[in-house]
Amino acid sequence: MAKSKEELLQQLSDCVFEMEDESVAGVANEYIEAGYEALDGVLKGLVDGMSRAGQMYEEEEYFVTDLLVCSDAMYNGLEVLKPHLPQEEGAGAVNYKCVIGVVEGDTHDIGKNLVRIMLETAGFEMYDLGRDVPLISFVEKAKDVNAQLICLSTLMTTTMPGMKEVVDMLKKEGLKDKVKVMIGGGPISQAYCDQISADGYAVNAIGAVSLAKKLVGMA
Amino acid sequence: MHPQDQMTPNERLQAFMKGDRMDRILAMPILVSISHRVAGITHREKRASAEKQAQSQIDCYKSYGNDLMIIEYGLHGVGTALGTEMNDPEDSLPAIVNHVLQDLKDIDRLDFNKTKKENDPWFAKTLEACEICQEKMGHEVPTGVLIAGPFTAVSSIYPTENLLRATRKNPAAIHQLLRLCTDALKDIYKEYIKRGIIIAMCDPIASGTLLKKSQYTEFVKPYATELMEHIHELGGMCCYHICGNTTSIVTDMVDTGPDMLSIDNLVDLEYVKGQVGERLPILGNVPPVDVLMLGSREDIYESVKTCIRKGKDSSKGYIIASGCDVTQNVPIENIAHMMEAVRKYGRYPLDEGLLNEPATDHK
Repeated sequence: MAKSKEELLQQLSDCVFEMEDESVAGVANEYIEAGYEALDGVLKGLVDGMSRAGQMYEEEEYFVTDLLVCSDAMYNGLEVLKPHLPQEEGAGAVNYKCVIGVVEGDTHDIGKNLVRIMLETAGFEMYDLGRDVPLISFVEKAKDVNAQLICLSTLMTTTMPGMKEVVDMLKKEGLKDKVKVMIGGGPISQAYCDQISADGYAVNAIGAVSLAKKLVGMA
Repeated sequence: MHPQDQMTPNERLQAFMKGDRMDRILAMPILVSISHRVAGITHREKRASAEKQAQSQIDCYKSYGNDLMIIEYGLHGVGTALGTEMNDPEDSLPAIVNHVLQDLKDIDRLDFNKTKKENDPWFAKTLEACEICQEKMGHEVPTGVLIAGPFTAVSSIYPTENLLRATRKNPAAIHQLLRLCTDALKDIYKEYIKRGIIIAMCDPIASGTLLKKSQYTEFVKPYATELMEHIHELGGMCCYHICGNTTSIVTDMVDTGPDMLSIDNLVDLEYVKGQVGERLPILGNVPPVDVLMLGSREDIYESVKTCIRKGKDSSKGYIIASGCDVTQNVPIENIAHMMEAVRKYGRYPLDEGLLNEPATDHK
Protein backbone atom coordinates (compact mmCIF):
# COMPACT_ATOMS: atom_id res chain seq x y z
CA MET A 1 0.00 0.00 0.00
CA ALA A 2 1.24 3.46 -0.86
CA LYS A 3 2.35 5.53 2.05
CA SER A 4 0.33 8.55 3.07
CA LYS A 5 1.63 12.03 2.41
CA GLU A 6 2.09 12.67 6.12
CA GLU A 7 4.05 9.49 6.51
CA LEU A 8 6.43 10.41 3.69
CA LEU A 9 6.81 13.99 4.91
CA GLN A 10 7.78 12.62 8.29
CA GLN A 11 10.29 10.30 6.62
CA LEU A 12 11.82 13.16 4.64
CA SER A 13 12.11 15.22 7.78
CA ASP A 14 13.62 12.27 9.67
CA CYS A 15 16.14 11.54 6.91
CA VAL A 16 17.51 15.05 7.31
CA PHE A 17 17.30 15.09 11.08
CA GLU A 18 18.86 11.64 11.43
CA MET A 19 21.61 12.38 8.87
CA GLU A 20 20.45 9.74 6.38
CA ASP A 21 22.08 11.56 3.49
CA GLU A 22 22.19 8.41 1.39
CA SER A 23 18.59 7.25 1.74
CA VAL A 24 16.85 10.62 1.47
CA ALA A 25 16.82 10.68 -2.35
CA GLY A 26 14.91 7.39 -2.42
CA VAL A 27 12.27 8.73 -0.09
CA ALA A 28 12.01 11.95 -2.11
CA ASN A 29 11.48 9.92 -5.28
CA GLU A 30 8.81 7.84 -3.61
CA TYR A 31 7.10 11.05 -2.49
CA ILE A 32 7.09 12.52 -6.00
CA GLU A 33 5.97 9.27 -7.61
CA ALA A 34 3.04 9.13 -5.23
CA GLY A 35 1.99 12.47 -6.76
CA TYR A 36 2.35 14.66 -3.68
CA GLU A 37 3.25 18.34 -3.94
CA ALA A 38 6.97 19.03 -4.18
CA LEU A 39 6.72 22.31 -2.28
CA ASP A 40 5.26 20.59 0.77
CA GLY A 41 7.99 17.98 0.50
CA VAL A 42 10.56 20.75 0.73
CA LEU A 43 8.97 22.85 3.45
CA LYS A 44 7.17 20.29 5.60
CA GLY A 45 9.69 17.53 4.98
CA LEU A 46 13.31 18.50 4.33
CA VAL A 47 13.27 21.99 5.80
CA ASP A 48 11.38 20.74 8.82
CA GLY A 49 14.13 18.19 9.43
CA MET A 50 16.81 20.84 9.12
CA SER A 51 14.94 23.11 11.54
CA ARG A 52 14.80 20.27 14.04
CA ALA A 53 18.54 19.75 13.58
CA GLY A 54 19.09 23.46 14.20
CA GLN A 55 17.09 23.18 17.38
CA MET A 56 19.30 20.32 18.56
CA TYR A 57 22.38 22.37 17.72
CA GLU A 58 21.07 25.15 19.88
CA GLU A 59 20.52 22.66 22.69
CA GLU A 60 24.11 21.44 22.21
CA GLU A 61 22.95 17.94 21.34
CA TYR A 62 24.14 18.33 17.75
CA PHE A 63 27.51 19.76 16.74
CA VAL A 64 28.96 21.25 13.58
CA THR A 65 29.61 17.87 11.97
CA ASP A 66 26.02 16.79 12.58
CA LEU A 67 24.64 19.97 11.03
CA LEU A 68 26.87 19.51 7.99
CA VAL A 69 25.68 15.96 7.38
CA CYS A 70 22.04 16.96 7.99
CA SER A 71 22.44 19.68 5.39
CA ASP A 72 23.98 17.19 2.95
CA ALA A 73 20.83 15.12 3.38
CA MET A 74 18.64 18.18 2.87
CA TYR A 75 20.42 19.14 -0.34
CA ASN A 76 20.33 15.55 -1.64
CA GLY A 77 16.57 15.57 -1.12
CA LEU A 78 16.22 19.03 -2.68
CA GLU A 79 17.96 17.85 -5.81
CA VAL A 80 15.13 15.36 -6.36
CA LEU A 81 12.28 17.71 -5.43
CA LYS A 82 13.47 20.92 -7.08
CA PRO A 83 12.58 20.06 -10.71
CA HIS A 84 9.02 19.46 -9.53
CA LEU A 85 8.57 22.81 -7.80
CA PRO A 86 6.17 25.32 -9.35
CA GLN A 87 8.10 27.71 -11.60
CA GLU A 88 6.31 30.93 -10.78
CA GLU A 89 6.51 32.58 -7.43
CA GLY A 90 3.20 33.24 -5.76
CA ALA A 91 1.79 36.66 -6.64
CA GLY A 92 2.44 39.19 -3.91
CA ALA A 93 4.91 36.95 -2.13
CA VAL A 94 7.89 38.83 -0.74
CA ASN A 95 11.24 37.32 -1.47
CA TYR A 96 13.83 38.07 1.13
CA LYS A 97 17.22 38.12 -0.51
CA CYS A 98 20.52 37.82 1.21
CA VAL A 99 24.10 38.09 -0.03
CA ILE A 100 26.61 36.13 2.02
CA GLY A 101 30.34 35.50 1.96
CA VAL A 102 33.68 35.38 3.74
CA VAL A 103 35.47 38.72 3.49
CA GLU A 104 38.55 39.27 1.39
CA GLY A 105 41.76 37.74 2.71
CA ASP A 106 40.10 34.91 4.62
CA THR A 107 39.21 31.45 3.40
CA HIS A 108 37.65 29.90 6.52
CA ASP A 109 34.09 29.23 5.44
CA ILE A 110 32.44 26.62 7.66
CA GLY A 111 30.60 29.23 9.72
CA LYS A 112 29.46 31.04 6.62
CA ASN A 113 28.20 27.79 5.09
CA LEU A 114 26.20 26.94 8.19
CA VAL A 115 24.59 30.38 8.23
CA ARG A 116 23.75 30.07 4.53
CA ILE A 117 22.13 26.69 5.13
CA MET A 118 20.09 27.88 8.08
CA LEU A 119 18.96 31.08 6.36
CA GLU A 120 18.02 29.09 3.27
CA THR A 121 16.06 26.79 5.57
CA ALA A 122 14.33 29.83 7.04
CA GLY A 123 13.17 30.91 3.58
CA PHE A 124 15.77 33.42 2.46
CA GLU A 125 16.90 33.47 -1.14
CA MET A 126 20.65 33.16 -0.70
CA TYR A 127 23.42 34.50 -2.92
CA ASP A 128 26.60 32.86 -1.68
CA LEU A 129 29.70 34.64 -2.99
CA GLY A 130 32.01 32.07 -1.39
CA ARG A 131 35.21 32.89 0.43
CA ASP A 132 37.96 35.49 0.04
CA VAL A 133 35.36 37.78 -1.56
CA PRO A 134 36.45 41.24 -2.79
CA LEU A 135 34.60 43.75 -0.61
CA ILE A 136 33.03 45.65 -3.47
CA SER A 137 31.40 42.42 -4.69
CA PHE A 138 29.11 42.33 -1.66
CA VAL A 139 27.75 45.77 -2.47
CA GLU A 140 27.52 45.13 -6.19
CA LYS A 141 25.72 41.84 -5.74
CA ALA A 142 23.32 43.35 -3.22
CA LYS A 143 22.46 46.13 -5.69
CA ASP A 144 22.25 43.66 -8.52
CA VAL A 145 19.71 41.34 -6.92
CA ASN A 146 18.04 43.93 -4.72
CA ALA A 147 19.02 42.20 -1.51
CA GLN A 148 17.77 43.36 1.87
CA LEU A 149 20.61 41.76 3.76
CA ILE A 150 24.37 41.22 3.55
CA CYS A 151 26.02 38.64 5.82
CA LEU A 152 29.76 38.93 6.35
CA SER A 153 31.90 36.30 8.01
CA THR A 154 35.53 36.06 9.05
CA LEU A 155 37.61 33.97 11.42
CA MET A 156 40.72 36.11 11.11
CA THR A 157 41.24 39.37 12.94
CA THR A 158 43.35 40.73 10.10
CA THR A 159 40.34 40.70 7.79
CA MET A 160 37.85 42.17 10.26
CA PRO A 161 38.38 45.73 8.98
CA GLY A 162 36.92 44.56 5.65
CA MET A 163 33.54 44.36 7.37
CA LYS A 164 33.72 48.01 8.25
CA GLU A 165 34.67 48.84 4.68
CA VAL A 166 31.53 47.13 3.38
CA VAL A 167 29.38 49.09 5.86
CA ASP A 168 31.12 52.30 4.81
CA MET A 169 30.63 51.56 1.12
CA LEU A 170 26.91 51.08 1.70
CA LYS A 171 26.78 54.39 3.57
CA LYS A 172 28.56 56.13 0.74
CA GLU A 173 26.12 54.74 -1.78
CA GLY A 174 23.18 55.77 0.38
CA LEU A 175 22.14 52.13 0.79
CA LYS A 176 22.82 51.72 4.48
CA ASP A 177 19.14 51.88 5.44
CA LYS A 178 17.97 49.69 2.61
CA VAL A 179 20.52 46.92 3.01
CA LYS A 180 21.18 45.57 6.49
CA VAL A 181 24.57 44.14 7.40
CA MET A 182 24.99 41.17 9.71
CA ILE A 183 28.41 40.03 10.87
CA GLY A 184 29.77 36.92 12.52
CA GLY A 185 32.81 34.70 13.05
CA GLY A 186 35.26 33.67 15.76
CA PRO A 187 36.75 37.05 16.71
CA ILE A 188 33.58 39.07 16.11
CA SER A 189 31.51 40.44 18.97
CA GLN A 190 28.58 42.75 19.59
CA ALA A 191 31.11 45.37 20.65
CA TYR A 192 32.81 45.20 17.26
CA CYS A 193 29.44 45.27 15.51
CA ASP A 194 28.56 48.47 17.37
CA GLN A 195 31.95 49.96 16.66
CA ILE A 196 31.63 49.59 12.88
CA SER A 197 27.88 50.38 12.82
CA ALA A 198 26.85 47.05 11.39
CA ASP A 199 23.20 46.19 11.98
CA GLY A 200 23.64 42.99 13.92
CA TYR A 201 25.89 40.25 15.24
CA ALA A 202 24.96 36.65 15.90
CA VAL A 203 27.01 34.23 17.92
CA ASN A 204 26.08 31.19 15.81
CA ALA A 205 24.06 30.02 12.80
CA ILE A 206 20.87 29.60 14.79
CA GLY A 207 21.11 33.05 16.30
CA ALA A 208 21.74 34.34 12.79
CA VAL A 209 18.30 33.18 11.66
CA SER A 210 16.30 35.07 14.26
CA LEU A 211 18.50 38.13 13.81
CA ALA A 212 18.13 38.06 10.02
CA LYS A 213 14.35 37.75 10.29
CA LYS A 214 14.25 40.66 12.70
CA LEU A 215 16.44 42.86 10.52
CA VAL A 216 14.38 42.40 7.36
CA GLY A 217 11.04 42.35 9.15
CA MET A 218 10.20 38.78 8.14
CA ALA A 219 7.21 37.44 10.00
CA MET B 1 66.26 42.24 31.40
CA HIS B 2 63.30 44.61 31.73
CA PRO B 3 64.22 47.51 34.04
CA GLN B 4 61.23 46.88 36.33
CA ASP B 5 61.94 43.18 36.81
CA GLN B 6 64.34 41.62 39.26
CA MET B 7 64.66 38.24 37.57
CA THR B 8 65.21 37.13 34.00
CA PRO B 9 62.45 35.01 32.42
CA ASN B 10 64.77 31.98 32.68
CA GLU B 11 65.28 32.54 36.39
CA ARG B 12 61.59 33.16 36.89
CA LEU B 13 60.60 29.98 35.04
CA GLN B 14 63.14 27.96 37.03
CA ALA B 15 61.75 29.36 40.28
CA PHE B 16 58.20 28.62 39.11
CA MET B 17 59.01 24.98 38.41
CA LYS B 18 60.74 24.49 41.74
CA GLY B 19 58.14 26.43 43.69
CA ASP B 20 60.69 29.05 44.71
CA ARG B 21 60.09 32.73 45.20
CA MET B 22 59.57 34.88 42.07
CA ASP B 23 59.67 38.65 41.64
CA ARG B 24 56.39 38.65 39.74
CA ILE B 25 53.92 36.29 38.14
CA LEU B 26 55.06 34.69 34.86
CA ALA B 27 53.54 36.44 31.84
CA MET B 28 53.43 34.84 28.41
CA PRO B 29 51.22 36.90 26.11
CA ILE B 30 51.26 35.01 22.81
CA LEU B 31 53.07 37.60 20.69
CA VAL B 32 53.28 35.81 17.35
CA SER B 33 51.02 37.44 14.78
CA ILE B 34 51.79 40.90 16.13
CA SER B 35 55.57 40.58 16.39
CA HIS B 36 56.34 42.15 12.98
CA ARG B 37 54.42 45.24 14.05
CA VAL B 38 56.65 45.57 17.09
CA ALA B 39 59.68 45.17 14.81
CA GLY B 40 58.29 47.72 12.35
CA ILE B 41 58.23 45.40 9.32
CA THR B 42 55.46 43.79 7.25
CA HIS B 43 54.23 40.27 7.81
CA ARG B 44 55.68 39.21 4.47
CA GLU B 45 59.09 40.58 5.43
CA LYS B 46 58.95 38.64 8.67
CA ARG B 47 58.01 35.33 7.11
CA ALA B 48 60.65 35.75 4.39
CA SER B 49 63.67 35.34 6.65
CA ALA B 50 64.85 33.53 9.74
CA GLU B 51 66.70 36.64 10.93
CA LYS B 52 63.57 38.79 10.73
CA GLN B 53 61.47 36.18 12.51
CA ALA B 54 63.99 35.97 15.31
CA GLN B 55 64.49 39.71 15.44
CA SER B 56 60.74 40.30 15.75
CA GLN B 57 60.65 38.09 18.82
CA ILE B 58 63.75 39.68 20.30
CA ASP B 59 62.23 43.13 19.73
CA CYS B 60 59.08 42.02 21.57
CA TYR B 61 61.12 40.72 24.47
CA LYS B 62 63.24 43.86 24.64
CA SER B 63 60.15 46.06 24.61
CA TYR B 64 57.95 44.16 27.04
CA GLY B 65 60.07 41.70 29.01
CA ASN B 66 57.54 38.92 28.33
CA ASP B 67 58.54 35.49 29.58
CA LEU B 68 58.49 33.48 26.35
CA MET B 69 59.60 34.18 22.80
CA ILE B 70 57.69 32.18 20.19
CA ILE B 71 58.80 31.26 16.69
CA GLU B 72 56.02 30.29 14.31
CA TYR B 73 56.16 26.99 12.47
CA GLY B 74 52.46 27.59 12.37
CA LEU B 75 49.27 25.67 11.87
CA HIS B 76 49.62 25.01 8.16
CA GLY B 77 53.26 23.90 7.98
CA VAL B 78 52.62 20.21 7.39
CA GLY B 79 50.09 20.96 4.67
CA THR B 80 52.22 23.52 2.86
CA ALA B 81 55.21 21.17 2.91
CA LEU B 82 53.03 18.56 1.21
CA GLY B 83 51.68 20.98 -1.40
CA THR B 84 48.76 22.90 0.11
CA GLU B 85 48.65 26.34 -1.53
CA MET B 86 48.50 29.49 0.57
CA ASN B 87 47.84 33.08 -0.41
CA ASP B 88 50.72 35.52 0.07
CA PRO B 89 49.36 38.74 1.58
CA GLU B 90 51.79 41.61 2.02
CA ASP B 91 50.84 42.32 5.59
CA SER B 92 48.71 39.58 7.06
CA LEU B 93 48.88 35.97 8.11
CA PRO B 94 48.45 33.79 5.00
CA ALA B 95 45.33 31.64 4.61
CA ILE B 96 44.87 28.35 2.75
CA VAL B 97 43.72 28.69 -0.86
CA ASN B 98 43.85 25.05 -1.96
CA HIS B 99 44.32 21.93 0.11
CA VAL B 100 46.73 19.38 -1.32
CA LEU B 101 44.30 16.52 -0.65
CA GLN B 102 40.84 16.82 -2.18
CA ASP B 103 39.88 13.16 -2.21
CA LEU B 104 40.56 10.71 0.60
CA LYS B 105 41.33 8.08 -2.03
CA ASP B 106 44.56 9.96 -2.76
CA ILE B 107 46.09 9.72 0.72
CA ASP B 108 48.76 7.31 -0.50
CA ARG B 109 50.00 9.90 -2.96
CA LEU B 110 51.08 12.26 -0.18
CA ASP B 111 54.84 12.27 0.28
CA PHE B 112 55.58 12.96 3.93
CA ASN B 113 59.32 13.11 3.21
CA LYS B 114 58.54 16.63 2.09
CA THR B 115 57.94 17.61 5.70
CA LYS B 116 61.57 16.92 6.69
CA LYS B 117 63.84 19.87 7.31
CA GLU B 118 66.04 19.01 4.33
CA ASN B 119 63.04 19.25 2.02
CA ASP B 120 60.94 22.00 3.58
CA PRO B 121 62.49 25.48 3.37
CA TRP B 122 59.90 26.93 5.77
CA PHE B 123 60.69 24.37 8.47
CA ALA B 124 64.44 24.96 8.00
CA LYS B 125 63.90 28.71 8.25
CA THR B 126 62.00 28.45 11.52
CA LEU B 127 64.68 26.18 12.98
CA GLU B 128 67.27 28.76 12.07
CA ALA B 129 65.14 31.46 13.69
CA CYS B 130 65.03 29.37 16.87
CA GLU B 131 68.81 29.02 16.78
CA ILE B 132 69.22 32.78 16.47
CA CYS B 133 66.86 33.38 19.40
CA GLN B 134 68.75 30.85 21.52
CA GLU B 135 72.13 32.21 20.59
CA LYS B 136 71.26 35.84 21.17
CA MET B 137 68.82 35.61 24.07
CA GLY B 138 68.85 32.02 25.33
CA HIS B 139 70.81 32.98 28.42
CA GLU B 140 67.91 35.17 29.45
CA VAL B 141 64.57 34.06 28.00
CA PRO B 142 63.17 30.73 26.76
CA THR B 143 61.96 30.24 23.20
CA GLY B 144 58.97 28.20 22.13
CA VAL B 145 57.56 27.18 18.78
CA LEU B 146 53.91 27.61 17.83
CA ILE B 147 53.13 24.42 15.97
CA ALA B 148 50.09 22.42 14.90
CA GLY B 149 48.69 19.53 16.86
CA PRO B 150 47.55 16.39 15.01
CA PHE B 151 44.01 17.33 14.04
CA THR B 152 44.96 20.79 12.80
CA ALA B 153 47.83 19.27 10.83
CA VAL B 154 45.27 17.06 9.05
CA SER B 155 43.12 20.11 8.34
CA SER B 156 46.08 21.74 6.63
CA ILE B 157 46.08 18.81 4.19
CA TYR B 158 42.37 18.15 3.71
CA PRO B 159 39.56 20.79 3.84
CA THR B 160 38.17 21.13 7.34
CA GLU B 161 34.52 20.86 6.38
CA ASN B 162 35.12 17.57 4.59
CA LEU B 163 37.35 16.43 7.41
CA LEU B 164 34.47 16.91 9.83
CA ARG B 165 32.08 15.01 7.57
CA ALA B 166 34.60 12.21 7.19
CA THR B 167 34.86 11.71 10.94
CA ARG B 168 31.37 10.29 10.50
CA LYS B 169 31.46 8.86 6.97
CA ASN B 170 35.00 7.58 6.65
CA PRO B 171 36.68 7.48 10.04
CA ALA B 172 39.31 4.96 8.91
CA ALA B 173 40.72 7.41 6.35
CA ILE B 174 40.88 10.15 8.97
CA HIS B 175 42.71 7.84 11.35
CA GLN B 176 45.13 7.06 8.55
CA LEU B 177 45.78 10.77 8.00
CA LEU B 178 46.16 11.34 11.73
CA ARG B 179 48.64 8.48 11.91
CA LEU B 180 50.72 9.99 9.09
CA CYS B 181 50.57 13.50 10.55
CA THR B 182 51.43 12.31 14.05
CA ASP B 183 54.50 10.52 12.75
CA ALA B 184 55.55 13.56 10.73
CA LEU B 185 55.01 15.85 13.71
CA LYS B 186 57.17 13.61 15.90
CA ASP B 187 60.14 14.18 13.61
CA ILE B 188 59.38 17.89 13.35
CA TYR B 189 59.00 18.38 17.13
CA LYS B 190 62.26 16.51 17.63
CA GLU B 191 64.26 19.12 15.71
CA TYR B 192 62.92 21.91 17.90
CA ILE B 193 63.43 19.97 21.12
CA LYS B 194 67.04 19.29 20.12
CA ARG B 195 67.48 23.07 20.03
CA GLY B 196 66.02 23.51 23.51
CA ILE B 197 62.73 24.90 22.25
CA ILE B 198 59.42 24.57 24.17
CA ILE B 199 56.67 23.02 22.06
CA ALA B 200 53.52 25.17 22.05
CA MET B 201 51.18 22.63 20.52
CA CYS B 202 48.11 24.36 19.13
CA ASP B 203 45.19 22.39 17.81
CA PRO B 204 42.46 24.93 17.03
CA ILE B 205 40.55 22.63 14.70
CA ALA B 206 40.08 20.27 17.66
CA SER B 207 38.18 23.09 19.37
CA GLY B 208 35.02 22.34 21.28
CA THR B 209 33.47 24.97 19.01
CA LEU B 210 33.84 22.51 16.11
CA LEU B 211 34.10 19.05 17.66
CA LYS B 212 32.01 17.28 20.22
CA LYS B 213 33.67 15.55 23.11
CA SER B 214 33.36 12.08 21.59
CA GLN B 215 35.09 13.29 18.42
CA TYR B 216 37.91 14.73 20.51
CA THR B 217 38.41 11.51 22.42
CA GLU B 218 38.33 9.39 19.28
CA PHE B 219 40.23 11.51 16.78
CA VAL B 220 42.50 13.78 18.79
CA LYS B 221 43.24 12.45 22.24
CA PRO B 222 45.17 9.27 21.32
CA TYR B 223 47.42 11.10 18.87
CA ALA B 224 48.00 14.06 21.17
CA THR B 225 48.88 11.63 23.95
CA GLU B 226 51.39 9.90 21.73
CA LEU B 227 52.99 13.23 20.82
CA MET B 228 53.21 14.27 24.47
CA GLU B 229 54.95 10.99 25.33
CA HIS B 230 57.34 11.52 22.46
CA ILE B 231 58.13 15.07 23.60
CA HIS B 232 58.87 13.83 27.10
CA GLU B 233 61.03 10.95 25.90
CA LEU B 234 63.14 13.53 24.14
CA GLY B 235 63.35 15.64 27.28
CA GLY B 236 61.14 18.38 25.86
CA MET B 237 58.34 20.39 27.34
CA CYS B 238 54.89 21.07 25.93
CA CYS B 239 52.30 23.75 26.45
CA TYR B 240 48.98 22.59 24.96
CA HIS B 241 46.53 25.11 23.55
CA ILE B 242 43.19 24.61 21.86
CA CYS B 243 41.24 27.65 20.73
CA GLY B 244 37.58 28.33 21.36
CA ASN B 245 35.43 26.71 23.97
CA THR B 246 37.19 23.67 25.44
CA THR B 247 35.13 23.51 28.63
CA SER B 248 33.85 19.99 27.92
CA ILE B 249 37.24 18.51 26.97
CA VAL B 250 39.57 20.21 29.41
CA THR B 251 40.10 17.05 31.48
CA ASP B 252 40.72 14.98 28.35
CA MET B 253 43.24 17.56 27.17
CA VAL B 254 45.13 17.23 30.43
CA ASP B 255 44.93 13.42 30.24
CA THR B 256 47.12 13.63 27.12
CA GLY B 257 49.96 14.68 29.42
CA PRO B 258 51.05 18.24 28.57
CA ASP B 259 53.34 20.16 30.94
CA MET B 260 51.14 23.24 30.84
CA LEU B 261 47.63 23.98 29.64
CA SER B 262 46.72 27.19 27.83
CA ILE B 263 43.05 28.12 27.65
CA ASP B 264 41.12 30.43 25.39
CA ASN B 265 39.19 33.38 26.82
CA LEU B 266 35.94 31.54 26.03
CA VAL B 267 36.70 29.19 28.92
CA ASP B 268 36.29 30.21 32.55
CA LEU B 269 39.63 30.18 34.33
CA GLU B 270 37.96 29.45 37.65
CA TYR B 271 36.32 26.34 36.21
CA VAL B 272 39.56 25.07 34.67
CA LYS B 273 41.41 25.67 37.93
CA GLY B 274 38.83 23.54 39.72
CA GLN B 275 39.00 20.75 37.15
CA VAL B 276 42.73 20.44 36.47
CA GLY B 277 44.60 22.99 38.59
CA GLU B 278 45.97 20.22 40.78
CA ARG B 279 47.50 18.47 37.80
CA LEU B 280 49.42 21.14 35.90
CA PRO B 281 50.09 24.87 35.52
CA ILE B 282 47.43 26.86 33.67
CA LEU B 283 47.97 29.70 31.21
CA GLY B 284 45.29 32.20 30.30
CA ASN B 285 43.21 34.03 29.35
CA VAL B 286 43.11 37.77 28.67
CA PRO B 287 40.76 38.18 25.68
CA PRO B 288 42.88 39.10 22.65
CA VAL B 289 40.11 40.73 20.61
CA ASP B 290 37.56 42.23 22.99
CA VAL B 291 40.13 43.41 25.51
CA LEU B 292 43.54 43.69 23.86
CA MET B 293 42.36 44.81 20.44
CA LEU B 294 39.18 46.75 21.19
CA GLY B 295 39.54 47.57 24.87
CA SER B 296 40.91 50.62 26.66
CA ARG B 297 43.91 50.69 28.97
CA GLU B 298 41.45 50.41 31.83
CA ASP B 299 39.81 47.32 30.31
CA ILE B 300 43.24 45.71 30.01
CA TYR B 301 44.11 46.46 33.63
CA GLU B 302 40.77 45.06 34.79
CA SER B 303 41.19 41.93 32.72
CA VAL B 304 44.73 41.28 33.99
CA LYS B 305 43.56 41.87 37.55
CA THR B 306 40.63 39.49 37.17
CA CYS B 307 42.81 36.78 35.61
CA ILE B 308 45.38 36.99 38.39
CA ARG B 309 42.67 36.98 41.05
CA LYS B 310 41.11 33.85 39.56
CA GLY B 311 44.35 32.04 38.75
CA LYS B 312 46.70 32.94 41.60
CA ASP B 313 45.83 30.07 43.93
CA SER B 314 45.79 27.33 41.29
CA SER B 315 47.63 24.42 42.94
CA LYS B 316 50.26 23.81 40.28
CA GLY B 317 50.63 27.46 39.43
CA TYR B 318 49.23 30.04 37.09
CA ILE B 319 50.86 31.96 34.24
CA ILE B 320 49.11 34.98 32.83
CA ALA B 321 48.75 34.89 29.06
CA SER B 322 46.49 36.04 26.28
CA GLY B 323 43.61 33.66 25.58
CA CYS B 324 44.96 33.16 22.09
CA ASP B 325 47.56 34.64 19.75
CA VAL B 326 47.66 38.44 19.83
CA THR B 327 46.80 39.70 16.37
CA GLN B 328 48.54 42.38 14.39
CA ASN B 329 45.50 44.63 14.69
CA VAL B 330 46.09 45.04 18.40
CA PRO B 331 47.56 48.50 19.05
CA ILE B 332 51.08 47.67 20.22
CA GLU B 333 50.84 50.03 23.18
CA ASN B 334 48.21 47.64 24.53
CA ILE B 335 50.84 44.94 24.99
CA ALA B 336 52.77 47.43 27.07
CA HIS B 337 49.60 48.12 29.07
CA MET B 338 49.11 44.42 29.67
CA MET B 339 52.67 44.04 30.95
CA GLU B 340 52.36 47.19 33.09
CA ALA B 341 49.26 45.70 34.66
CA VAL B 342 51.10 42.40 35.23
CA ARG B 343 53.87 44.29 37.02
CA LYS B 344 51.30 46.15 39.10
CA TYR B 345 48.98 43.30 40.13
CA GLY B 346 51.31 40.35 39.73
CA ARG B 347 54.23 41.47 41.87
CA TYR B 348 55.10 39.03 44.67
CA PRO B 349 54.06 38.95 47.36
CA LEU B 350 50.66 39.56 45.76
CA ASP B 351 48.78 42.50 47.20
CA GLU B 352 45.29 41.17 47.95
CA GLY B 353 44.00 44.66 48.60
CA LEU B 354 45.09 45.76 45.15
CA LEU B 355 43.63 42.64 43.50
CA ASN B 356 40.29 43.18 45.15
CA GLU B 357 40.04 46.90 44.62
CA PRO B 358 37.10 48.03 42.52
CA ALA B 359 37.65 49.19 38.97
CA THR B 360 39.50 52.49 39.08
CA ASP B 361 40.89 54.76 36.45
CA HIS B 362 44.28 53.04 36.85
CA LYS B 363 46.31 56.19 37.03
